Amino acid sequence: MTSELTIGMAGSGGDGIVSAGDSLMTALALAGYHAMLTKSFGPQIRGGESSFRLRVSTRPVLSPGGTLDVAVALNWDDFLKFGGELPLDGHSVVIYDENTGVAPDKIPVTGVKPAEVVMVGIEAMAKNTVGSEKAKNTIVLGLMAGWFGLAPENIRAGLRKRFAKKGEEIVARNERAFEAGLAWAREHPLRHARTLGPAPEGASTKLVTDGNDLCAAGAIYAGCEFFGGYPITPSSEIMHFLNREIWKYGGTMLQCEDEIAGIGACVGASFAGKKALTATSGPGMSLKTEMLGLATIAELPLVVVNVQRGGPSTGIPTKSEQSDLFQAAFSAHGDAVRPVLAPINVADTFPITVEAFNIAEKYQTPVIILSDQEISQRKEAIDRPDTSSLRVERRRVPNQQELEHYVRFRITESGVSPISHPGMKGGNYLASGIEHTESGAPTASGLVHSKMNDKRLRKLGPLKSRADLFLTEGPAHASLALVAWGSISGLALEALQLSHRAGLDVKLLVPRLLYPVAEEVYREFFASVKRGLVVEQSHQGQLYRVIRMFVDMPAGVESFARSGSNPISPVELVERLRSQARELLANREPVSQAE
Amino acid sequence: MATSALPRAAEAFVAKDFKSELKPIWCPGCGDFGVVQAIYRALAAIGRPPHEIAFVSGIGCSSRIPGYTTAYGFNTVHGRALPIAQGIKLASPELLVLVAGGDGDGFSIGGGHVAHAVRRNIDLTYIIMDNQIYGLTKGQLSPTSPRGLRTASSTYGSMEDPVNPLLYVLGYGARFVAQGTPADMGQLSKLIEEGIRFPGFAFINVQSPCVTYGEPETQLKAQKQRMETLESLGHDPSDRIKAMELAQHYGEKLHTGVFYRDPAPPPPYSHYVAERQGELRDDTLTREHILDVFLPRE
Ligand SMILES: Cc1ncc(C[n+]2csc(CCOP(=O)(O)OP(=O)(O)O)c2C)c(N)n1
Ligand code: SF4
Ligand SMILES: [Mg+2]
Repeated sequence: MTSELTIGMAGSGGDGIVSAGDSLMTALALAGYHAMLTKSFGPQIRGGESSFRLRVSTRPVLSPGGTLDVAVALNWDDFLKFGGELPLDGHSVVIYDENTGVAPDKIPVTGVKPAEVVMVGIEAMAKNTVGSEKAKNTIVLGLMAGWFGLAPENIRAGLRKRFAKKGEEIVARNERAFEAGLAWAREHPLRHARTLGPAPEGASTKLVTDGNDLCAAGAIYAGCEFFGGYPITPSSEIMHFLNREIWKYGGTMLQCEDEIAGIGACVGASFAGKKALTATSGPGMSLKTEMLGLATIAELPLVVVNVQRGGPSTGIPTKSEQSDLFQAAFSAHGDAVRPVLAPINVADTFPITVEAFNIAEKYQTPVIILSDQEISQRKEAIDRPDTSSLRVERRRVPNQQELEHYVRFRITESGVSPISHPGMKGGNYLASGIEHTESGAPTASGLVHSKMNDKRLRKLGPLKSRADLFLTEGPAHASLALVAWGSISGLALEALQLSHRAGLDVKLLVPRLLYPVAEEVYREFFASVKRGLVVEQSHQGQLYRVIRMFVDMPAGVESFARSGSNPISPVELVERLRSQARELLANREPVSQAE
Repeated sequence: MATSALPRAAEAFVAKDFKSELKPIWCPGCGDFGVVQAIYRALAAIGRPPHEIAFVSGIGCSSRIPGYTTAYGFNTVHGRALPIAQGIKLASPELLVLVAGGDGDGFSIGGGHVAHAVRRNIDLTYIIMDNQIYGLTKGQLSPTSPRGLRTASSTYGSMEDPVNPLLYVLGYGARFVAQGTPADMGQLSKLIEEGIRFPGFAFINVQSPCVTYGEPETQLKAQKQRMETLESLGHDPSDRIKAMELAQHYGEKLHTGVFYRDPAPPPPYSHYVAERQGELRDDTLTREHILDVFLPRE
C-alpha cells in the first residue's frame, strides 16, 4: 500500500492520452483522493503527440512531483519527446505496448534502470476485445485499476457515462476493453506491487478544476458582473468560463478587438458601478498598461489577471514563467502603486481572486493577479474551497447626505473617498486621466497633484500590514529560509518537508501579496535568518530584487532563479540548503535550534 | 421606437441644465464651443436628466468636452473612448452614452476601435470634432489633414492621403452617419439629437475648426460659403449606395445633413444581451453555486 502515486503516460494524437488522464482524474476525485494532473502537448495545434502526468495522494498534492512511479508508453518516440516531463528512476515501473517491437531489456531509456519493465499487448488487446485500436487508452485504464487499485468502480461508471451518447454498443465495447486490461493486470501481478491505499475515511468528493476556471469562478463569487478581454494563451479559459457562466448570474462579457479595448471596456463598466475583470498574458499585459494608469488616477476598482508565460514578447506561450513581476509592479508611468497578488496553487486562485476584488473595491484601485501557466492549466482534485471565511466587499458609495454636496475625490484621512456612478442623482462628476481637484476639475497645480498622489498612495498603506496574505511554515526562529511565490511555492513546501526530515533548520515564507512590499512581514521573517533562498522561475530573480528594494535581506539569502521551462526540483533546493547549513557551521555562525 | 434615449421623466430640460461650471480652456473662437452648445440643445430636446447620461471622450482639445456638461463625464486616454463607452453601455444599458473626440483621437490612435464599435452596434452616439489637425499638441498632421498640408510635423507638405471618416464608417456598415458644422447650429443640434434617438451606433462628423492651427478654408466663415445641405441636393438618406457616393466628396465639398439612416434598424447590441440574460439568468443561483460546476461528473 502506498499513500501516493505519480503516473505518466505518452502517446500520439489519436491515442486518447488526454481523455485517459481526465478519466483517471475524475474517478479518483469521486473516490475522495487529492490529485494533480498536468498535460503536455507537442508544438502542433492539433493531433500531435501528447502526454499527462498525474499525481494522486490521500493528502493534498503540493506539486506535480518528480520522477514517475508508473510510466506508460504507447510508443517510444512520443514518450521520449516528453523526457523532461516524464523522468524515470530506479523505482519506476515502465509499461509499454508490445507493438513497439522493443524487447523489455532494450527499451530506449538511458541513464536509469527502472525497477520493472512490463511489455503488454495493449494494441493487440484493444483489437481483440473491441476490434479497434481506439480502445488502447481504455485498456490502459484497466491495467491501472488492476495493478494500482485506482478506483475501478468509478472508472467503470465514468466510461459508461462518457460513451452513453454513442450508444449501448460502444459502451459495451469499452467496458470489455476495461475488463480485459483489468484481468490482464490481475493475471500478471507486478514483482513490486504498489497499490494505492484507500482515501481517508469519510473523504468527500473532490472538486476537479484548474487555475483558470477556478479563478473565473472566484470572480463570479466576488460578484463580478463584467468581463472584457482578448484571447491569449494561457489565459483564454478564463474568458471561456465566464462566457458560459456569467449570464446565469446576470452579468455580461465582451470579446474585444484587442487587449486595450478589453481593459477599456472594464474601466467603463467599473465607472458604471459594476465589478469588472479582464484576463491576459504578458503580451496583452504590455498593451494594458496605459489603462492601468487611467484606472489608478480615476480611482476605479478593477481586477486584471496576468497568467504568466515565458517572455519577453511572444516568448514561450505554453510554458510557465514568473518573469512579469517587474512589469506588474512598475509598468505604467507616474507615481503609483498597484497591488499585485499571486495565487500559490490551483485552490488558491479562488480566495485570491475574491481578495483581489475586495482590495480593488475597498481601495478603488486596479489590482493585478499574477497567475502562471502552470497553475492555470493543471487540473487538480481539491477540497471544496471553504467560503465561510470569505467576505465580499463593495465599493463605498456616497450616502444621501454626501450626495447633496458631492465631492468625488474628497481627501479623507484614509485616502478613500465615496464613489458614485452614472444613474446616481447628485453624484455627477468628471472622471479623468488628467490630474484633478477634489471635485474632479482638471488641474495642472503642483500642489493639488502632490496632495492627490499622496491620497492615492496613502489609501493603499494598510495593505502593507496584511500578514494574512503571507503563508509561513516551519520553526519561527530557523536560521535557514526559503521564500517562494506562485506555482513554485508547492515545490518549496515539499523542499521544506524534505529538509525537515533531513534535520535542517528551515522555514518558508510564501507571499501572496507581492506588491506593495509588506516590509514589516519580511523583516520579522528574516530576523532569525542567516542563509536562505528566494526561489522563482525567472532569469533575474525578480521577487528577490523587488524585496531588496524595500528590505535589507540578510546577506546570506541568495536568489535561486531559473528561466521558465527549466524544472526546479525540491531535492536540489534541499541540497542547496544543506550546503548553506554547512557554510554556517564552517563560519561558526550560531545556528538556532529548531523549535 | 424602443430606444433607451427616449425621455422617461416628465421633467422638461433646457440647454443650460447641461452646462457645467467649468470654464472651457479652448481658444476663443474654437469650433468646439459651437459643438458643446449644440450638445446642450440636443440633450435638452431629448429630456434625460444629466445623471442618466455618461459622456466619454479621449484626449485632445475636443476631448475636454464632457467636463463642460453636467452629465457624468469621463475624459479618458488618447484614442480609447469607444471601448470605455462600450463597457459603460454594456454594464448599464439604461444610460444614454455619448462619445466625442478629435479626428486624431478617433481615426489615428483610436482608429482600430471604430470598426468594432460600428459592427457591434452598441447604442452609442459618436461625435467627431474634425479639424483636420492636432490641436492640443500644437498643430501636427492629423489623419484627416489633406495631402500637401504643411504643419509642424510636415514642414514640406504631407505626402499622404487623408482618411475619409464618412466612408470609413459607412464601409464598416454604420447605420446612422451624418455630418454637421457649428456654422449651422440649428442643423447640428438636430443631427446630434437624431443620432441620440437612433437605436444603435450613430456617427456624426462635425467640421469643427481649429482657429489656432487650422487652415483658412476650414474656418466657419469659409464653411458657410462652401456648405451644401444634403436635403437641398434631394438626397434620400435611406439610400446607402448614394450616401457612399456623396461621402466620396469629403474634403472637396462640405455636405451637411444625414448621409445614411437605416430605415429599418435592427435591434442594438443591448437587446441581444438582455435576451441572452433572459434566457440564461437564474435567480435561484447564489454565489456559492458557481463551485458546483467543478463537481466531478462520471
Ligand atoms: C498615448 C498618447 N499619445 C500621444 C498623446 C499626445 N496627444 C494628445 S492629444 C493628441 C492629438 C490631438 O488631436 P485630435 O485628436 O485631433 O484632437 P484636437 O486637439 O485636434 O481636438 C496627441 C497626439 C497622448 N496624450 N497620449
Ligand atoms: S488649439 Fe485649436 S482645437 Fe485646440 S482649443 Fe485652440 S482652436 Fe480649438
Ligand atoms: Mg483634431
